[in-house]
Amino acid sequence: MASQRDVRNRISAVKNIQTITRAMEMVAAARLRRAEQRIEALRPYADAIRRMTSQAAEAAAAGVPKLPILSEHAQVARVGLLLVAGDRGLAGAFNSQIVRAGVAAGRQHEAQGAAPVYFASGRRPAASLSFRGVELAASFTGFTDRPAYADARRIAERLMAAYVDDEVDRVEILYNGYVSPISQVVRRETLLPLQQASLLADAGDGAGGEQPAGTGGEQATGGRPRTRRATPDYEPSPEEILRRLVPDYVVISVFRALLESTASEHGARMTAMRNATDNAGTLIEDLTLQMNRARQAAITQEIMEVVAGAEGIG
Amino acid sequence: MAHRKFTVEVLTPEGEAFAGEVEMVSTRTTLGQIGILANHAPLLATLEPTELRLYTSESQILRFAQAEGYLQVGGNHAMLLVEEAVEPGSLDAAKLQARLEEAERELDAAGDDTEKRRVVERDKRRAQAFLQIAEAG
Repeated sequence: MASQRDVRNRISAVKNIQTITRAMEMVAAARLRRAEQRIEALRPYADAIRRMTSQAAEAAAAGVPKLPILSEHAQVARVGLLLVAGDRGLAGAFNSQIVRAGVAAGRQHEAQGAAPVYFASGRRPAASLSFRGVELAASFTGFTDRPAYADARRIAERLMAAYVDDEVDRVEILYNGYVSPISQVVRRETLLPLQQASLLADAGDGAGGEQPAGTGGEQATGGRPRTRRATPDYEPSPEEILRRLVPDYVVISVFRALLESTASEHGARMTAMRNATDNAGTLIEDLTLQMNRARQAAITQEIMEVVAGAEGIG
Repeated sequence: MAHRKFTVEVLTPEGEAFAGEVEMVSTRTTLGQIGILANHAPLLATLEPTELRLYTSESQILRFAQAEGYLQVGGNHAMLLVEEAVEPGSLDAAKLQARLEEAERELDAAGDDTEKRRVVERDKRRAQAFLQIAEAG
Protein backbone atom coordinates (compact mmCIF):
# COMPACT_ATOMS: atom_id res chain seq x y z
CA MET A 1 0.00 0.00 0.00
CA ALA A 2 1.22 3.47 -0.93
CA SER A 3 2.54 5.54 1.95
CA GLN A 4 0.86 8.74 3.05
CA ARG A 5 3.63 10.81 1.53
CA ASP A 6 3.32 9.10 -1.89
CA VAL A 7 -0.40 9.74 -1.99
CA ARG A 8 0.04 13.34 -0.92
CA ASN A 9 2.55 13.90 -3.72
CA ARG A 10 0.17 12.44 -6.24
CA ILE A 11 -2.64 14.67 -5.00
CA SER A 12 -0.56 17.79 -5.46
CA ALA A 13 0.51 16.66 -8.95
CA VAL A 14 -3.11 16.11 -9.97
CA LYS A 15 -4.04 19.49 -8.49
CA ASN A 16 -1.39 21.14 -10.66
CA ILE A 17 -2.79 19.44 -13.75
CA GLN A 18 -6.27 20.55 -12.77
CA THR A 19 -5.13 24.17 -12.52
CA ILE A 20 -3.64 23.97 -16.00
CA THR A 21 -6.63 22.31 -17.62
CA ARG A 22 -8.96 24.81 -15.97
CA ALA A 23 -6.88 27.70 -17.33
CA MET A 24 -6.88 26.13 -20.79
CA GLU A 25 -10.63 25.75 -20.64
CA MET A 26 -11.04 29.43 -19.87
CA VAL A 27 -8.64 30.50 -22.62
CA ALA A 28 -10.55 28.31 -25.08
CA ALA A 29 -13.85 29.84 -23.96
CA ALA A 30 -12.59 33.37 -24.54
CA ARG A 31 -11.19 32.45 -27.97
CA LEU A 32 -14.41 30.67 -28.85
CA ARG A 33 -16.40 33.85 -28.29
CA ARG A 34 -14.06 35.78 -30.57
CA ALA A 35 -14.26 33.07 -33.22
CA GLU A 36 -18.06 33.17 -33.08
CA GLN A 37 -18.01 36.92 -33.59
CA ARG A 38 -15.81 36.51 -36.64
CA ILE A 39 -18.27 34.07 -38.22
CA GLU A 40 -20.95 36.70 -37.68
CA ALA A 41 -18.76 39.47 -39.12
CA LEU A 42 -18.33 37.61 -42.41
CA ARG A 43 -22.05 37.37 -43.07
CA PRO A 44 -22.80 40.94 -44.23
CA TYR A 45 -19.79 40.84 -46.56
CA ALA A 46 -20.81 37.52 -48.08
CA ASP A 47 -24.39 38.74 -48.52
CA ALA A 48 -23.25 41.94 -50.21
CA ILE A 49 -21.02 39.96 -52.60
CA ARG A 50 -23.99 37.76 -53.43
CA ARG A 51 -26.25 40.75 -54.15
CA MET A 52 -23.59 42.32 -56.29
CA THR A 53 -23.18 39.11 -58.26
CA SER A 54 -26.91 38.93 -58.94
CA GLN A 55 -26.88 42.52 -60.13
CA ALA A 56 -23.90 42.03 -62.42
CA ALA A 57 -25.32 38.77 -63.76
CA GLU A 58 -28.59 40.50 -64.64
CA ALA A 59 -26.68 43.19 -66.50
CA ALA A 60 -24.34 40.83 -68.34
CA ALA A 61 -25.72 40.01 -71.76
CA ALA A 62 -24.75 36.36 -71.60
CA GLY A 63 -25.28 35.89 -67.87
CA VAL A 64 -22.39 34.52 -65.86
CA PRO A 65 -19.43 33.92 -68.20
CA LYS A 66 -18.22 30.35 -68.57
CA LEU A 67 -15.20 30.51 -66.28
CA PRO A 68 -12.84 27.53 -65.96
CA ILE A 69 -13.70 27.09 -62.28
CA LEU A 70 -17.38 26.78 -63.19
CA SER A 71 -17.00 24.13 -65.85
CA GLU A 72 -16.88 20.50 -64.89
CA HIS A 73 -14.02 18.36 -66.11
CA ALA A 74 -15.17 15.63 -68.48
CA GLN A 75 -13.22 12.94 -66.66
CA VAL A 76 -12.56 12.82 -62.96
CA ALA A 77 -9.21 11.08 -62.56
CA ARG A 78 -7.93 12.98 -59.52
CA VAL A 79 -9.91 14.47 -56.67
CA GLY A 80 -8.39 17.09 -54.41
CA LEU A 81 -9.30 16.72 -50.73
CA LEU A 82 -8.69 19.68 -48.46
CA LEU A 83 -8.65 18.66 -44.81
CA VAL A 84 -9.20 21.58 -42.47
CA ALA A 85 -8.27 21.09 -38.80
CA GLY A 86 -5.95 22.61 -36.20
CA ASP A 87 -2.30 23.27 -35.49
CA ARG A 88 -2.54 21.94 -31.97
CA GLY A 89 -4.00 18.96 -30.18
CA LEU A 90 -5.67 18.62 -26.77
CA ALA A 91 -9.05 19.16 -28.37
CA GLY A 92 -10.69 15.77 -28.14
CA ALA A 93 -11.59 14.18 -31.47
CA PHE A 94 -11.42 17.50 -33.32
CA ASN A 95 -8.35 16.68 -35.42
CA SER A 96 -8.61 12.92 -35.65
CA GLN A 97 -12.19 12.86 -36.93
CA ILE A 98 -11.20 15.06 -39.88
CA VAL A 99 -8.24 12.86 -40.75
CA ARG A 100 -10.43 9.77 -40.45
CA ALA A 101 -13.16 11.27 -42.63
CA GLY A 102 -10.55 12.44 -45.15
CA VAL A 103 -8.94 9.03 -45.47
CA ALA A 104 -12.38 7.42 -45.79
CA ALA A 105 -13.31 9.91 -48.53
CA GLY A 106 -10.05 9.14 -50.31
CA ARG A 107 -10.80 5.42 -50.24
CA GLN A 108 -14.27 6.08 -51.55
CA HIS A 109 -12.82 7.98 -54.52
CA GLU A 110 -10.27 5.24 -55.15
CA ALA A 111 -13.11 2.74 -55.32
CA GLN A 112 -14.66 4.89 -58.02
CA GLY A 113 -11.43 5.01 -59.96
CA ALA A 114 -10.21 8.48 -58.98
CA ALA A 115 -6.96 9.10 -57.15
CA PRO A 116 -7.18 11.34 -54.09
CA VAL A 117 -4.80 14.31 -53.86
CA TYR A 118 -4.49 15.59 -50.31
CA PHE A 119 -4.21 19.18 -49.18
CA ALA A 120 -4.09 20.05 -45.49
CA SER A 121 -4.77 23.16 -43.47
CA GLY A 122 -3.38 22.83 -39.96
CA ARG A 123 -0.26 21.14 -38.61
CA ARG A 124 -2.17 18.22 -37.09
CA PRO A 125 -3.83 16.81 -40.20
CA ALA A 126 -0.61 17.46 -42.17
CA ALA A 127 1.41 15.47 -39.62
CA SER A 128 -1.16 12.66 -39.34
CA LEU A 129 -1.30 12.20 -43.10
CA SER A 130 2.48 12.20 -43.49
CA PHE A 131 2.66 9.66 -40.67
CA ARG A 132 0.28 7.42 -42.58
CA GLY A 133 2.58 7.70 -45.57
CA VAL A 134 0.19 9.89 -47.56
CA GLU A 135 1.87 12.45 -49.76
CA LEU A 136 0.52 15.99 -49.47
CA ALA A 137 0.18 18.25 -52.49
CA ALA A 138 0.33 21.28 -50.21
CA SER A 139 -0.11 22.10 -46.56
CA PHE A 140 -0.98 25.41 -44.95
CA THR A 141 -0.12 25.94 -41.29
CA GLY A 142 0.44 28.54 -38.62
CA PHE A 143 -2.87 30.39 -38.58
CA THR A 144 -5.59 28.05 -37.34
CA ASP A 145 -5.94 29.95 -34.06
CA ARG A 146 -6.99 33.04 -35.93
CA PRO A 147 -7.29 32.59 -39.69
CA ALA A 148 -7.16 35.77 -41.79
CA TYR A 149 -8.93 36.29 -45.09
CA ALA A 150 -5.53 36.35 -46.77
CA ASP A 151 -4.95 32.77 -45.53
CA ALA A 152 -8.22 31.67 -47.07
CA ARG A 153 -7.29 33.39 -50.30
CA ARG A 154 -3.91 31.66 -50.39
CA ILE A 155 -5.55 28.26 -49.95
CA ALA A 156 -8.41 28.94 -52.37
CA GLU A 157 -6.07 30.30 -55.04
CA ARG A 158 -3.81 27.29 -54.75
CA LEU A 159 -6.82 24.99 -55.17
CA MET A 160 -8.27 26.99 -58.06
CA ALA A 161 -4.88 27.01 -59.78
CA ALA A 162 -4.69 23.24 -59.30
CA TYR A 163 -8.16 22.89 -60.77
CA VAL A 164 -7.66 25.20 -63.74
CA ASP A 165 -4.17 23.88 -64.53
CA ASP A 166 -5.60 20.30 -64.57
CA GLU A 167 -3.75 19.08 -61.51
CA VAL A 168 -7.08 17.90 -60.08
CA ASP A 169 -10.54 17.43 -61.61
CA ARG A 170 -12.61 18.14 -58.53
CA VAL A 171 -11.99 19.57 -55.09
CA GLU A 172 -13.74 18.66 -51.86
CA ILE A 173 -13.31 20.29 -48.48
CA LEU A 174 -13.70 18.54 -45.12
CA TYR A 175 -13.96 20.56 -41.95
CA ASN A 176 -15.58 20.63 -38.52
CA GLY A 177 -18.80 22.58 -38.95
CA TYR A 178 -19.64 24.71 -35.96
CA VAL A 179 -23.04 23.89 -34.49
CA SER A 180 -22.63 24.95 -30.86
CA PRO A 181 -19.82 25.13 -28.31
CA ILE A 182 -20.34 21.48 -27.45
CA SER A 183 -21.28 20.14 -30.86
CA GLN A 184 -19.24 19.97 -34.06
CA VAL A 185 -20.05 17.94 -37.14
CA VAL A 186 -17.74 16.89 -39.93
CA ARG A 187 -18.89 18.57 -43.13
CA ARG A 188 -17.86 17.49 -46.59
CA GLU A 189 -18.58 19.90 -49.41
CA THR A 190 -17.68 20.20 -53.05
CA LEU A 191 -15.61 23.31 -53.59
CA LEU A 192 -14.75 22.98 -57.27
CA PRO A 193 -16.22 23.07 -59.82
CA LEU A 194 -18.28 25.85 -58.34
CA GLN A 195 -21.99 25.24 -58.82
CA GLN A 196 -23.46 27.99 -60.93
CA ALA A 197 -26.77 27.66 -59.12
CA SER A 198 -25.13 28.60 -55.84
CA LEU A 199 -23.95 31.93 -57.25
CA LEU A 200 -27.37 33.38 -57.75
CA ALA A 201 -29.39 31.68 -55.04
CA ASP A 202 -30.42 34.58 -52.88
CA ALA A 203 -31.22 32.69 -49.75
CA GLY A 204 -30.63 29.08 -48.94
CA ASP A 205 -29.39 26.86 -46.23
CA GLY A 206 -26.08 25.05 -46.44
CA ALA A 207 -26.38 23.31 -43.11
CA GLY A 208 -26.84 19.90 -44.70
CA GLY A 209 -24.04 17.51 -45.50
CA GLU A 210 -23.25 17.44 -49.22
CA GLN A 211 -24.28 20.92 -50.23
CA PRO A 212 -22.29 22.86 -52.77
CA ALA A 213 -19.96 25.01 -50.73
CA GLY A 214 -21.09 28.26 -52.27
CA THR A 215 -24.53 28.19 -50.77
CA GLY A 216 -23.30 29.15 -47.33
CA GLY A 217 -26.10 29.38 -44.87
CA GLU A 218 -27.13 32.97 -44.74
CA GLN A 219 -30.18 34.93 -45.54
CA ALA A 220 -30.17 38.30 -47.24
CA THR A 221 -29.99 40.95 -44.57
CA GLY A 222 -32.91 43.29 -44.67
CA GLY A 223 -32.77 46.85 -43.51
CA ARG A 224 -29.99 48.08 -45.80
CA PRO A 225 -31.14 50.68 -48.26
CA ARG A 226 -31.63 49.00 -51.59
CA THR A 227 -29.23 50.69 -53.92
CA ARG A 228 -30.76 49.86 -57.28
CA ARG A 229 -32.78 52.37 -59.25
CA ALA A 230 -31.45 53.67 -62.53
CA THR A 231 -29.31 51.42 -64.73
CA PRO A 232 -25.87 51.68 -63.23
CA ASP A 233 -22.57 52.21 -64.99
CA TYR A 234 -20.15 49.33 -64.96
CA GLU A 235 -16.42 49.76 -64.66
CA PRO A 236 -15.27 47.56 -66.30
CA SER A 237 -18.02 45.57 -68.05
CA PRO A 238 -20.39 43.36 -66.03
CA GLU A 239 -18.66 40.31 -67.53
CA GLU A 240 -15.27 41.47 -66.30
CA ILE A 241 -16.69 42.22 -62.85
CA LEU A 242 -18.16 38.72 -62.69
CA ARG A 243 -14.80 37.28 -63.68
CA ARG A 244 -13.50 38.74 -60.41
CA LEU A 245 -16.56 38.08 -58.28
CA VAL A 246 -16.98 34.39 -59.03
CA PRO A 247 -13.59 33.23 -57.68
CA ASP A 248 -14.33 35.22 -54.53
CA TYR A 249 -17.06 32.71 -53.77
CA VAL A 250 -14.46 30.00 -53.44
CA VAL A 251 -12.34 32.19 -51.18
CA ILE A 252 -15.34 33.06 -49.02
CA SER A 253 -16.31 29.38 -48.78
CA VAL A 254 -12.81 28.47 -47.66
CA PHE A 255 -12.74 31.39 -45.23
CA ARG A 256 -16.05 30.35 -43.74
CA ALA A 257 -14.78 26.80 -43.35
CA LEU A 258 -11.61 28.07 -41.64
CA LEU A 259 -13.61 30.25 -39.27
CA GLU A 260 -16.05 27.49 -38.41
CA SER A 261 -13.20 25.06 -37.93
CA THR A 262 -11.49 27.49 -35.55
CA ALA A 263 -14.66 27.99 -33.54
CA SER A 264 -15.13 24.21 -33.44
CA GLU A 265 -11.55 23.74 -32.32
CA HIS A 266 -11.94 26.11 -29.40
CA GLY A 267 -15.29 24.54 -28.53
CA ALA A 268 -13.82 21.04 -28.65
CA ARG A 269 -10.84 22.10 -26.57
CA MET A 270 -13.10 23.77 -24.04
CA THR A 271 -15.13 20.57 -23.65
CA ALA A 272 -12.04 18.36 -23.53
CA MET A 273 -10.41 20.54 -20.89
CA ARG A 274 -13.57 20.72 -18.82
CA ASN A 275 -13.73 16.93 -18.82
CA ALA A 276 -10.06 16.78 -17.85
CA THR A 277 -10.70 19.20 -14.99
CA ASP A 278 -13.67 17.13 -13.80
CA ASN A 279 -11.67 13.92 -14.03
CA ALA A 280 -8.86 15.49 -12.04
CA GLY A 281 -11.43 16.44 -9.39
CA THR A 282 -12.68 12.86 -9.15
CA LEU A 283 -9.13 11.58 -8.97
CA ILE A 284 -8.31 14.01 -6.16
CA GLU A 285 -11.34 12.80 -4.20
CA ASP A 286 -10.29 9.17 -4.60
CA LEU A 287 -6.73 9.92 -3.63
CA THR A 288 -7.80 11.93 -0.60
CA LEU A 289 -9.90 9.00 0.53
CA GLN A 290 -6.96 6.72 0.02
CA MET A 291 -4.73 9.05 1.99
CA ASN A 292 -7.17 9.24 4.88
CA ARG A 293 -7.42 5.49 4.92
CA ALA A 294 -3.64 5.19 5.03
CA ARG A 295 -3.47 7.72 7.83
CA GLN A 296 -6.15 5.94 9.82
CA ALA A 297 -4.42 2.61 9.31
CA ALA A 298 -1.20 4.11 10.61
CA ILE A 299 -2.97 5.51 13.70
CA THR A 300 -4.73 2.24 14.39
CA GLN A 301 -1.45 0.44 14.06
CA GLU A 302 0.15 2.82 16.55
CA ILE A 303 -2.66 2.41 19.10
CA MET A 304 -2.46 -1.34 18.80
CA GLU A 305 1.26 -1.16 19.40
CA VAL A 306 0.80 1.06 22.46
CA VAL A 307 -1.95 -1.18 23.83
CA ALA A 308 0.11 -4.29 23.20
CA GLY A 309 3.08 -2.62 24.88
CA ALA A 310 0.98 -1.64 27.92
CA GLU A 311 -0.39 -5.15 28.21
CA GLY A 312 3.12 -6.51 28.05
CA ILE A 313 4.15 -4.36 30.97
CA GLY A 314 0.97 -4.93 32.97
CA MET B 1 -16.95 75.05 -49.75
CA ALA B 2 -18.92 72.48 -47.88
CA HIS B 3 -20.12 69.47 -49.80
CA ARG B 4 -23.32 67.59 -49.28
CA LYS B 5 -22.83 64.42 -47.31
CA PHE B 6 -23.82 60.88 -48.16
CA THR B 7 -23.57 57.53 -46.42
CA VAL B 8 -20.67 55.16 -46.95
CA GLU B 9 -20.08 51.63 -45.78
CA VAL B 10 -16.74 49.88 -45.94
CA LEU B 11 -17.12 46.14 -45.38
CA THR B 12 -14.38 43.54 -45.13
CA PRO B 13 -14.66 39.79 -44.50
CA GLU B 14 -13.48 40.53 -40.96
CA GLY B 15 -16.22 43.04 -40.27
CA GLU B 16 -17.14 46.64 -40.84
CA ALA B 17 -14.22 49.04 -41.27
CA PHE B 18 -16.30 52.20 -41.57
CA ALA B 19 -19.94 53.27 -41.69
CA GLY B 20 -21.06 56.86 -41.65
CA GLU B 21 -21.43 60.07 -43.56
CA VAL B 22 -18.74 61.55 -45.73
CA GLU B 23 -18.37 64.33 -48.28
CA MET B 24 -16.17 62.44 -50.68
CA VAL B 25 -14.68 59.01 -51.24
CA SER B 26 -11.46 58.69 -53.16
CA THR B 27 -10.25 55.31 -54.37
CA ARG B 28 -9.06 53.54 -57.51
CA THR B 29 -11.09 51.29 -59.80
CA THR B 30 -9.66 48.98 -62.42
CA LEU B 31 -10.04 51.84 -64.89
CA GLY B 32 -8.41 54.48 -62.74
CA GLN B 33 -8.64 56.93 -59.86
CA ILE B 34 -12.18 57.89 -58.87
CA GLY B 35 -13.78 60.38 -56.52
CA ILE B 36 -17.39 59.93 -55.41
CA LEU B 37 -19.48 62.86 -54.25
CA ALA B 38 -23.11 62.93 -53.07
CA ASN B 39 -25.72 62.00 -55.69
CA HIS B 40 -23.24 60.14 -57.84
CA ALA B 41 -24.74 58.11 -60.69
CA PRO B 42 -25.28 54.40 -59.94
CA LEU B 43 -22.07 52.49 -60.46
CA LEU B 44 -20.64 49.03 -60.00
CA ALA B 45 -16.88 48.80 -60.24
CA THR B 46 -13.93 46.63 -59.27
CA LEU B 47 -11.35 48.23 -56.99
CA GLU B 48 -7.60 47.87 -57.06
CA PRO B 49 -5.20 48.03 -54.11
CA THR B 50 -4.63 51.65 -53.25
CA GLU B 51 -5.03 54.24 -50.53
CA LEU B 52 -8.68 54.74 -49.74
CA ARG B 53 -9.53 58.23 -48.54
CA LEU B 54 -12.80 59.14 -46.83
CA TYR B 55 -13.31 62.89 -46.51
CA THR B 56 -15.57 63.14 -43.49
CA SER B 57 -15.29 66.94 -43.57
CA GLU B 58 -13.22 69.64 -45.25
CA SER B 59 -10.29 69.06 -42.95
CA GLN B 60 -10.75 65.50 -41.81
CA ILE B 61 -9.60 62.62 -43.95
CA LEU B 62 -9.73 58.97 -42.92
CA ARG B 63 -7.13 56.87 -44.69
CA PHE B 64 -7.03 53.14 -45.23
CA ALA B 65 -4.76 50.82 -47.15
CA GLN B 66 -7.27 49.00 -49.28
CA ALA B 67 -6.86 45.65 -51.03
CA GLU B 68 -8.89 44.50 -54.04
CA GLY B 69 -12.61 44.85 -53.84
CA TYR B 70 -15.81 46.20 -55.28
CA LEU B 71 -17.61 49.49 -55.22
CA GLN B 72 -21.34 49.88 -55.50
CA VAL B 73 -22.92 53.34 -55.68
CA GLY B 74 -26.61 54.10 -55.87
CA GLY B 75 -29.40 55.90 -54.03
CA ASN B 76 -26.91 58.33 -52.52
CA HIS B 77 -25.16 55.47 -50.77
CA ALA B 78 -21.76 53.97 -51.47
CA MET B 79 -20.76 50.48 -50.46
CA LEU B 80 -17.17 49.35 -50.63
CA LEU B 81 -16.44 45.66 -50.30
CA VAL B 82 -12.73 45.21 -49.85
CA GLU B 83 -10.68 42.20 -48.83
CA GLU B 84 -8.68 44.30 -46.43
CA ALA B 85 -8.88 47.80 -45.07
CA VAL B 86 -6.09 48.58 -42.63
CA GLU B 87 -4.84 51.81 -41.14
CA PRO B 88 -1.68 52.96 -42.86
CA GLY B 89 0.01 53.24 -39.46
CA SER B 90 -0.26 49.51 -38.82
CA LEU B 91 1.48 48.51 -42.06
CA ASP B 92 4.92 46.97 -41.75
CA ALA B 93 7.13 48.19 -44.60
CA ALA B 94 9.83 45.57 -44.03
CA LYS B 95 7.31 42.74 -44.13
CA LEU B 96 5.72 44.12 -47.28
CA GLN B 97 9.12 44.46 -48.92
CA ALA B 98 9.83 40.82 -48.12
CA ARG B 99 6.49 39.78 -49.58
CA LEU B 100 7.09 41.78 -52.71
CA GLU B 101 10.47 40.11 -53.22
CA GLU B 102 8.94 36.70 -52.61
CA ALA B 103 6.24 37.44 -55.18
CA GLU B 104 8.91 38.45 -57.71
CA ARG B 105 10.80 35.21 -57.10
CA GLU B 106 7.62 33.16 -57.48
CA LEU B 107 6.81 35.03 -60.65
CA ASP B 108 10.11 33.91 -62.17
CA ALA B 109 9.31 30.33 -61.26
CA ALA B 110 5.70 30.33 -62.48
CA GLY B 111 5.11 29.11 -66.01
CA ASP B 112 3.59 31.38 -68.63
CA ASP B 113 -0.16 31.56 -68.89
CA THR B 114 -0.91 29.51 -65.78
CA GLU B 115 -3.42 30.29 -63.08
CA LYS B 116 -0.53 30.36 -60.66
CA ARG B 117 1.07 33.24 -62.54
CA ARG B 118 -2.10 35.29 -62.40
CA VAL B 119 -2.34 34.70 -58.65
CA VAL B 120 1.23 35.78 -57.99
CA GLU B 121 0.86 38.86 -60.16
CA ARG B 122 -2.12 39.92 -58.10
CA ASP B 123 -0.15 39.37 -54.90
CA LYS B 124 2.66 41.48 -56.24
CA ARG B 125 0.40 44.40 -57.19
CA ARG B 126 -1.06 44.38 -53.73
CA ALA B 127 2.30 44.29 -51.95
CA GLN B 128 3.49 47.12 -54.17
CA ALA B 129 0.50 49.33 -53.44
CA PHE B 130 0.64 48.69 -49.70
CA LEU B 131 4.38 49.29 -49.61
CA GLN B 132 3.89 52.64 -51.29
CA ILE B 133 1.29 53.62 -48.70
CA ALA B 134 3.48 52.43 -45.85
CA GLU B 135 6.44 54.42 -47.10
CA ALA B 136 4.39 57.54 -47.73
CA GLY B 137 2.73 57.34 -44.30
